[in-house]
Amino acid sequence: MSASSRLSDRAIAPQATPTNVLVVGVGGQGVVMVSRVLAKLCERNGLDIKQSEVHGMAKRGGVVFSHVRFGERVYSPTIPEGEADIVLAMEWAEGLRWLPFLKRESGGLIADTQRIVPPFSCRNRKRGALHGYQTMGLEELEEVVARVVAVDATGVASEVGNRRAANTVLLGVLSSMLDFDPSEWREVVAEVVPPKTIEANLLGFERGREWALQETRAELPTPPEPERPTHAADRVELEIVEAWCKGCDICVKVCPERCLELNGSQVAVLRDPAACSGCRVCEWLCPDLAIHVRILPAQEEH
Amino acid sequence: MTDSDSSLPASFDIRDYLRTDLFPHFMCVGCGHGIALRCLLTAVHELGISKDELAVVSGIGCSGRIAAYIDANTLHVTHGRPLTFASGLKLARPDLTVVVVTGDGDCLSIGGNHLIHACRRNLDITCLMLNNEVYGMTGGQVSPTTDEGRYTTTTPLGNHEPSFDACSIATAAGASLVGREITFQAPALKNLIVEAISHPGFGFVEVISDCTEIYGRRNDLGSSTEMILSQKSGMRPESYGGALDQPFRPGNWQTGVLSRSDREEYAAAYRRRTRSARPEEQT
Repeated sequence: MSASSRLSDRAIAPQATPTNVLVVGVGGQGVVMVSRVLAKLCERNGLDIKQSEVHGMAKRGGVVFSHVRFGERVYSPTIPEGEADIVLAMEWAEGLRWLPFLKRESGGLIADTQRIVPPFSCRNRKRGALHGYQTMGLEELEEVVARVVAVDATGVASEVGNRRAANTVLLGVLSSMLDFDPSEWREVVAEVVPPKTIEANLLGFERGREWALQETRAELPTPPEPERPTHAADRVELEIVEAWCKGCDICVKVCPERCLELNGSQVAVLRDPAACSGCRVCEWLCPDLAIHVRILPAQEEH
Repeated sequence: MTDSDSSLPASFDIRDYLRTDLFPHFMCVGCGHGIALRCLLTAVHELGISKDELAVVSGIGCSGRIAAYIDANTLHVTHGRPLTFASGLKLARPDLTVVVVTGDGDCLSIGGNHLIHACRRNLDITCLMLNNEVYGMTGGQVSPTTDEGRYTTTTPLGNHEPSFDACSIATAAGASLVGREITFQAPALKNLIVEAISHPGFGFVEVISDCTEIYGRRNDLGSSTEMILSQKSGMRPESYGGALDQPFRPGNWQTGVLSRSDREEYAAAYRRRTRSARPEEQT
């Protein structure tokens, strides 16, 4: 199914079975604020609403998600797997992480194309190495998800003058998929956001809504390509002077790649040369000055 | 540690600065003094000081042997007097970069008097005090920096004397740059030594080293890896803010540059005074 088809045709009306919206993102993006807007909106319309969130490591850029369920009567605050009508993702990889929660046939994914690469995806310490960030692009995604809306919300928000209004841009997109009165959306957004940012947020909301309601979109923003290595990895030469090593075990214990070990005569040896990233930790901390690391640029290799 | 080595050219080999025929060095398995030696030589390399311009003076003790391993102008002098020899050397040859490598016993007890007066004069010398909290070479006797309650050969019931805060002594005596670093933070230690050497005036650097064989074993402090890691977990970098307001506690080291002043360097003041006393000898 094409992402550029009209979304408002499939607007979801509140009904007996609850509507499930899963809002996901990275700490600091306003996930909880989006779910507050939804909650207030439902309260105004006399709907039953339950919301549940996890924001443990929010201030450290960790995962934040918020389950929002509303309808005539809602019993459980959490969305079962495979039951979400909409996943609203403020970060590309976070959206992909929560795909199993989407309804298979009708679920819609609204995702910001912004990428925030978390530190723990950079496991390979070698210079020029690839990080382990999710590489799935829009085309692949459209094959597995019924409806995908990829919007450069951060870019739109920057245009209206406040990068942090990206969440209201996404709310604007979301408003085109839910059956609430647009003027109510605006009132609630103005109520929830900080007073100084009302103008930027309302503008962002309009831009997001307009973008979603366009008949045809001239250019669909695609998520940026996964990063490619800029240059070949350096060649690392690690030399251990056997006669100088006293086998104190420091290098073995501190090596982040675990590529050193003590041999039978209590002398450090490089067990796995391919794993060595040339970080020099062992060289710095060798009390016997027995370890010598040379990092040679790749082009010098013969 | 990974990408901070851009200052190090690929050609840097520490063996260019070592008397390699004396290696392996005599220090025990896992002794942190070797890490301090590497940091000193890397700092010297980074500052572009040639081996002819470098003079290393050391006293007696485990730390005293450091000078012997450096392929530069080195003096291995009497117990507690490296700062005294270095003061004379610096006054006679102000063109040399004088680095004193001394230990906690050498610097604070036998040479305690010389330390405070060297700090007071504020000569352009860098003093590296390797603090392993014990007299290692002479058999593990209690030293002025041994923590309370620790067992040594001379305190079989546990040390009951409080220990010295060497950095406070140096600051109070007038050293114009005082810093402390642990050996586990080797690149930071190298940067601190670079700062102390390039500082015009007396630079006092306390290096928290580990003595595994004689001190750690008797006090059940674990292997050398465990000792340096526990130093790391107990350290309080001054850059974190508020660390310097807390009282001195051995084992919870305040690290970084702890005090800095712009007092006049002694040799410069000395030369000015001598010139003004004998104006006809000016050249």
